[in-house]
Amino acid sequence: MPAIASAFNRPWRTLWLGAMAIALLSTACSQAPTSVRTVPIQQSWELQLGSTVGKHRIAGGLGDISIEMKGDRVYIPFDGEVQANNVAGCYIYSTPDVPAYIFRLCGLKSGKTGRVRSGDTLGTADYLHFAALRRQPEGTWALVEPSKEMLERMISK
Amino acid sequence: MKRHSLERPTLNPLMVGGLVVAMVGLLVDLRGMVSPTTAGGHHEACQGTVNSQVTLSREQLAQLLTVPERDSRDRVSQIAGAPYCQLQNIQVRAGVAAERQVYPLAFDPQTRLVILYEGNEYAGYRFSFQ
Repeated sequence: MPAIASAFNRPWRTLWLGAMAIALLSTACSQAPTSVRTVPIQQSWELQLGSTVGKHRIAGGLGDISIEMKGDRVYIPFDGEVQANNVAGCYIYSTPDVPAYIFRLCGLKSGKTGRVRSGDTLGTADYLHFAALRRQPEGTWALVEPSKEMLERMISK
Repeated sequence: MKRHSLERPTLNPLMVGGLVVAMVGLLVDLRGMVSPTTAGGHHEACQGTVNSQVTLSREQLAQLLTVPERDSRDRVSQIAGAPYCQLQNIQVRAGVAAERQVYPLAFDPQTRLVILYEGNEYAGYRFSFQ
C-alpha cells in the first residue's frame, strides 16, 4: 500500500485522470455516429427480414430488391452516414443530399460505418438486398420501390 | 514525512498498464478524428441559377419544421420563398422525379437546409453541414 500511495502522487494522478477522461470522452464522441439504428417500418408482414423460416434466416423480404453482385463493390453515391441496422448483417445509409429517404443494405460481406463520402466503397456482396425507405408523417418509414437510377448509383462508381 | 516526499515514486504495474491502455485508446480515437471520413462533408454543387441573397431566418425555419411530410409544396414555398439554388434532379423512387432545393441558414451560413419535393408533394428536409 505505501508503494501504491507513493506511486500515486500528484503528477502521476493528474496524468492518469487526464488520460482517462480524454480517452473516455473521445471514445464516447467517436461511437455516437456509428450506433445501431432501429428503423420502424410502416408495413408489417408475417415474414420479416431477419426472422427465420425453419432453421434459416430470411435474408430479404417484400420491399427488398436483390441484386446478384458476384463479389463486386457497393459504393456511396452522396456524402452521408452509414449505421449498423438492428437487423443483423444490414446497414442504414442516409445522406443530407437526399432528404426524406434512407436506404437499407443487407448482404454485405463487411460494412463500413460512420461518416462516408461520395465514391467510398461501402463493402462487397454476393447478393445485395437493397431497400429504399421514405419517411412518413407519423415517424415510420415506408418501403418504396427504388428507382433504377438510385440502384445504379449504389453499384457503380 | 520529509524523507517520504524525497523518495522516487514506485510505479504500480496495474496503474501503468491502465495508463498504456488509455493512451492507446486515445491514439486510436485521435487517428479517427483526423481521418478525412470524419471531417465535415462537402455540399453538393448547385445547378442553374444561384440566388446569393437568399437565406432562411430562424422564424422561417421554425415554421418549416412544423410542416408534416406529404403536405403540399405550396405551403412550404409560402414559408421559405424562392430557394438559394436547386440541386440536380434525381429519381429516388421509381417513376417519381425528385426536386431538391437549397436554403442556407441566415444565422449559420455554413449549414443549409435541403428540401425535397416529389411533384406537388413536400417529401421532407435534411440539414447539410459543411
